[in-house]
Amino acid sequence: MSDQGIKSRPKYQPIAPDPQGRHHLLVVDGPEVPTEALAEGVTPSAFEVWTVARKSAVPGSAAMDEEAGAVRVFRAVPHLFSALEERLARETMGLRLYAAGPETFLWDANGIGARAGLSRQEMAFAHVGAQARRIFCVHCRTVMEGVTTSITTCAGCGAPLFVRDHFSRRLAAFMAVQVDAEVPGEVPPAEELYS
Amino acid sequence: MTAGDPLHVRVRDIVELAPSLKRFSFEPAHGGLFPTPPAGGHVMLTLRDGARVMKNAYSLVSAPMERARYDIIVRLVAQSRGGSAFLHRKVMPGDVLEMASPVSLFPLAATARKHLLIGGGIGITPMLSFLPELKARGARFELHQLAGGEEAAVFERLLAPYAAGEEIRVHGGGRAAFDLAGLLSRQPLGTHVYVCGPHTLMDAVTGTATALGWPRGKIHKESFGGAGGGLPFRAILKRSGIEVEVGETQSLLEAIEAAGVDAPCLCRGGACGECMTPVIEGEVDHRDDFLSAEEKAGGRLVMTCVSRARGPRLVLDL
Amino acid sequence: MTLQFKPAETFRDTFTYRKSPEDILRFPFPFPEDAYMYSVNIEPHVRGGPTAAFQAAFDIDEHYIAECRERERVLKEDPKRCQVLPHMLAAEWDSLELIMESLAQDYPEHFSLTRAGDLWTWVNRPLNIHQSFTFGKVETLPCGPFEYITRQAQGDFTLQDQRDDNLYVDGGMVTTQADWSLEFDIGMSFHEWHGPVPLAHEKGVFDRALKYLLRLQYGQPVRRLNWTMTVNPRLDTSPENYPVWGPDKASVTPENVADKVHLRVELQTLYRLPRSNAILFGIRCYLTSVADIARVPKWRRRLHRVLRDLHPDIAAYKGLPRFRQMVVDHLAPLDDGAPTSRGIAPDTDVLAG
Repeated sequence: MSDQGIKSRPKYQPIAPDPQGRHHLLVVDGPEVPTEALAEGVTPSAFEVWTVARKSAVPGSAAMDEEAGAVRVFRAVPHLFSALEERLARETMGLRLYAAGPETFLWDANGIGARAGLSRQEMAFAHVGAQARRIFCVHCRTVMEGVTTSITTCAGCGAPLFVRDHFSRRLAAFMAVQVDAEVPGEVPPAEELYS
Repeated sequence: MTAGDPLHVRVRDIVELAPSLKRFSFEPAHGGLFPTPPAGGHVMLTLRDGARVMKNAYSLVSAPMERARYDIIVRLVAQSRGGSAFLHRKVMPGDVLEMASPVSLFPLAATARKHLLIGGGIGITPMLSFLPELKARGARFELHQLAGGEEAAVFERLLAPYAAGEEIRVHGGGRAAFDLAGLLSRQPLGTHVYVCGPHTLMDAVTGTATALGWPRGKIHKESFGGAGGGLPFRAILKRSGIEVEVGETQSLLEAIEAAGVDAPCLCRGGACGECMTPVIEGEVDHRDDFLSAEEKAGGRLVMTCVSRARGPRLVLDL
Repeated sequence: MTLQFKPAETFRDTFTYRKSPEDILRFPFPFPEDAYMYSVNIEPHVRGGPTAAFQAAFDIDEHYIAECRERERVLKEDPKRCQVLPHMLAAEWDSLELIMESLAQDYPEHFSLTRAGDLWTWVNRPLNIHQSFTFGKVETLPCGPFEYITRQAQGDFTLQDQRDDNLYVDGGMVTTQADWSLEFDIGMSFHEWHGPVPLAHEKGVFDRALKYLLRLQYGQPVRRLNWTMTVNPRLDTSPENYPVWGPDKASVTPENVADKVHLRVELQTLYRLPRSNAILFGIRCYLTSVADIARVPKWRRRLHRVLRDLHPDIAAYKGLPRFRQMVVDHLAPLDDGAPTSRGIAPDTDVLAG
């Protein structure tokens, strides 16, 4: 993959429970914890795990334990996120939040954590699965999901956009800038880079 | 832009809060207003007792909106270096003292969803600076003040103006009766804890909070800094052919400048690299962020704005 | 010296912005040497310096009224150019207090501030503003305190919160920027918002600058100069409006280069604030055309040498490649090869040509 040398682009590490933490909650965009999301020797049993089944017929869990080893299954990502907001609002100091999945899932989870008062020291993320990018058109603020090419057309203002490696954790998106602003029509061919 | 210069302050009044506690109120000796006191800020007083010069740091207890006066509370310490005894016994209303501009190394966290304040004894003073600011922000907070026998009533009185509708408690029963672990374990996410008091209390709060999973960035301890100065030493400027004495509270660069040598410098904080000077002889106590670990270990260079000698003398190629 | 404001001048479309001779000589020329590379070029911000631009905490010049009007226009088009995250309200009041007090102290003929406890009255004569309000009560001002005061100051401002041994850009008034977006960057850490800058990360410049700024003390502000080049005297070179100003870059020719291309200097100041412990970062922008710079012999020699030898990565990051050579070619015959004195002072009281 190309590297534009921009330092705002996040770097990710496989997850291991922070030994300083008192309780560890791992949210996953998928039906189970991907092995590559965890550091060597770490098993999902070290965490309370929340997963996403992507199906409607998910029965409510009987126990709803809030402890390491417990697993809760959600229908979809928004379902999980709304439960996460409720949970963090009544949590006490000592919790650590971890997330594994595509980049937008990670940084949307980060936003929920930050609004609940978690600092960067209390969260950790592993990027697994799709490399496709959420992009933010800096000219018209349109957000586009699943972009896989170096250049794409803005769905909002029609500009041919170059996808920079400059990443906003707040927007969970990469910056996209008109590529032919100086000489209209001078658009390089798009490359498939983020699939 | 010139607030780095020392202030000259006149003692307005002195109030005895308890036999061992006095509140000193100062006003600018030459009129005008003080700089806005920082929340959790402290000042350094220069106290001259005959030939003896003492520099003592005290938390400001006045509110940010109050700029006509600065207040401090001083406890008479039995085995003090002499500063508290000097203030309690020799300083009188009308006296003029030298005070360094306020500094804050104990600020409030802007992103805290709740502030938990824990004071021990005279460690109440920065809490008294926090309270008006927390009230002004409409912030959520809780204060626990530990007090020895006769101080409890005094602290109750000092905290009373802020107490209405707030969780403010004075614990007169000493540390044993204070359930620190219980308090720290029930705090909501996003709480920051601030502690000031005896080292044993500050260590207990830090240790207990860390064991309960509080991250380092949410545990705040009062600090008066102190990294600035160090032991005095002699610097020999070989090329200039002069020797300068570097005092305890003076930087090497300041001593060189005071001797009339035009030494290079820019940031005065150990970052830019401008004041880098070759060392001919002597060991350096490196305190800058510019030199690499290898360069520091090599011992051939010194950043004069922050670094000092680790020994009695330093010979410089200057 | 009394300022002669030029309220009608423009920084877009008609570009009627011009500099008086005094205004050219007070320009904070950014190169202390004949070569340029990134460094931690920070120094204490004390009154007085190599040109008149360093005489006040927050510098006001003959373009004050016109720049405030331009800011008003940008904000009308795009209100998100001013944003402050909610946890920075104490820093907003700190900023208002600092800027009002400094302006009233440095320019008593133009600004005054009177206080009776929490009841403050602010008078801004050039903009014809007379405002009474209660310090600490947002509802007594027409907008947030940070927006209120930075609408009345020249240059951009950002607010940095300090936490977890880092600085976060958690607010700003950004309408005269050199191609960075507040809407995109707000909330970023120090290294993140400097992410796109080449070479400096590898040189450790940002690591050292961050450590220094984390220790920045209340009452001891610091400053540095930064620079780039802009085609036409356009203040708003934002990424948001890049499709509007981008074509300017292709409009430079050897015939118009001296008048069209401007050296854009930022006098950056950093203040630790008392209540919030945040840092107020002022980014005061000055524009001077290559033709005006050429009227100062030392500056034209030095600008020629710096641009001629500039590292290509820096030139690319600053967006110079389309016209750099034309500027160098224009200045080359004006550089007699004579040595230049260290520092940025113009070394003259009168302009050539």
